[in-house]
Amino acid sequence: MAGNTFDHLQVLRDMRSKAVLGGGVKRIEQQHARGKLTARERLALLLDAGSFQEFGALATHQVNSFGLDKQRYPGDGVITGFGKVNGRRVAVYAQDFTVLGGSFSEVQAQKISRIQDLAIESGIPFIGLNDSGGARIQEGVRSLAAYGEVFVRNVMASGVIPQISLILGPCAGGAVYSPALTDFVIMAGDSYMFLTGPDVIQAVTGEQVTAQDLGGADVHTGRSGVAHLAADTEVAGLALAKLLLSYLPQNNNEDPPQITPDDPPNRMDEALNSLIPNNESEPYDMRDAIVAIFDHDSFLEVQPHFAPNAVIGFARLDGYSVGIVANQPSCMAGALNIDASDKISRFIRTCDAFNVPLVTFVDCPGYLPGVDQEYGGVIRHGAKIIFAYCEATVPKISIVTRKAMGGAYVAMGSKQMRTDLAFAWPTAQIAVMGAEPAVRVLYRDDVKNAADPAARERELVAAYREEFFNPYRAADLGQIDEVIEPRETRPRLARALEILRTKVQQNPPKKHGLSPT
Amino acid sequence: MSDLAWGLQMTVLGMGLVFGLLALLWGLLTLVQRLDRSADGGPVTDTDASASTADVEALAADAVAALAGPAPASQVAGEAPPRVQGMDAELVAAILVATLRHRAILRREAAPATRRYWPGSMLVVSRWVGAGRSRQNSSWQRRSR
Repeated sequence: MAGNTFDHLQVLRDMRSKAVLGGGVKRIEQQHARGKLTARERLALLLDAGSFQEFGALATHQVNSFGLDKQRYPGDGVITGFGKVNGRRVAVYAQDFTVLGGSFSEVQAQKISRIQDLAIESGIPFIGLNDSGGARIQEGVRSLAAYGEVFVRNVMASGVIPQISLILGPCAGGAVYSPALTDFVIMAGDSYMFLTGPDVIQAVTGEQVTAQDLGGADVHTGRSGVAHLAADTEVAGLALAKLLLSYLPQNNNEDPPQITPDDPPNRMDEALNSLIPNNESEPYDMRDAIVAIFDHDSFLEVQPHFAPNAVIGFARLDGYSVGIVANQPSCMAGALNIDASDKISRFIRTCDAFNVPLVTFVDCPGYLPGVDQEYGGVIRHGAKIIFAYCEATVPKISIVTRKAMGGAYVAMGSKQMRTDLAFAWPTAQIAVMGAEPAVRVLYRDDVKNAADPAARERELVAAYREEFFNPYRAADLGQIDEVIEPRETRPRLARALEILRTKVQQNPPKKHGLSPT
Repeated sequence: MSDLAWGLQMTVLGMGLVFGLLALLWGLLTLVQRLDRSADGGPVTDTDASASTADVEALAADAVAALAGPAPASQVAGEAPPRVQGMDAELVAAILVATLRHRAILRREAAPATRRYWPGSMLVVSRWVGAGRSRQNSSWQRRSR
């Protein structure tokens, strides 16, 4: 390339200008017409102003078959680089749908892998903005191998740096696995993700289904549990990613950011003392307790629509990030089932990986009985919760608010699960099983032979309740460290977490545990 | 001697010109400032952008009080709408709501202004925690012995 310095500069400037336009003005207009933002607009919304530093902006593919030689665009359909979110360094990629439908290529993989490697080495979060029609078919096995390059780095980064995926358009076929391997998936707008699309499903099984009904945000946040959060618009989705990141550290060696608290740690909410209904069968919303206990306006519920019988999420206490696991008595009485077990165990491991202390609120009558549940493997799914709690080395505090029955009591953060501090409200009922079934098992003959079996059963049930339906027997045995008034929960938790902030616990040396699957 | 007189004349003329122009500029700036104030309908007291939340809330309370007072009656009588610190009270209220909302978002996102320390600095991590984290994350390594 002959010429003077000005010519060289002009060539570079022209190439950069072309790269900024992606697939061209016409395709950008089409993207806007679909109600979607371009990749660069999304990055501008996500990152702090002027913080983005792009790499690989001029990379193009070298494939000539199927007419690809006439379709070379600088950047090859993905924008990669580093930027800052609220002053925190992040690595980020954004697939550009205006370039060949954002199709995943060898060059895309090289670019994404490059920033993944640098993110892992630098210990900074990795955020992916996905909007791609799938693998670039013209590249054949190259594009398939390209997926593998990204997957292996997703796995290597797992538990080391936070990884957040935003689905902002189509995400199909092999492309779904990279988001699935990351820590959090956020779906926004009319995005969808599936392994096999509606056309293939119709050809194979004859079922007719739309893309949204098959893999829209409602499906993945409500039924499949693939996505953790959803937003109506891309702007809201990007804001959610920023919010989520605020609860997570830069990497597994550091702590999440602590903000200057604006809510006194000793604040007591009197409403908590009347939260538990007098009728033990009456439901209440556990989120009311969470909102009242933790810092004002700090609760971010994760997977709110998937397995709603369990509540998980992040909040802040005295400015520190905290992970919350809770049963939800207002849905299925808070019983644990397969989906709830998956939801809870995954969240516990996420918090443990990123040094986020865990607070567990227990109101659980047990695991959900049912043929479907047993056939579905509720045993191995339920065991995941136990595995996750036992394995976790972060500070763990549990609070029994009402029912803590049987195996569910043991699983949900009992002292034997290496829980550091166990609190109970006076309304706690810690027992092997409910009063009526217990009496039927223990006193079957006694009740049967009584002159008035119904009266005898009522008498025995009352005696059982008197004996076990309180937290004091468990406190006698050291299973509960302290019975507290509900309103005291916030100051108690704040002080306990202050003590446990420097907790260090080491598991035995091993490659990795074998968590039930 | 005539050179000295000529030099003095030039000095007086030059300095006079400079100071004269400065005075003219000062006059122009004063005029612009007065025109600006009269266009805004009165003096506006600056509110420091970094004022504490309490200050902002106090200002908001003033605006609310101004709006909640006898404003409707006075408006019916054709009087000017309530004002806070020289500005329309409704405008002040809207600005303050937006400011407080923005502050809440910054707080929720743990923006730099709300953080106690810079992420990645490890400044607040004790040696105990630093060494402990290192051990916790190295459980897969063979122990040297």
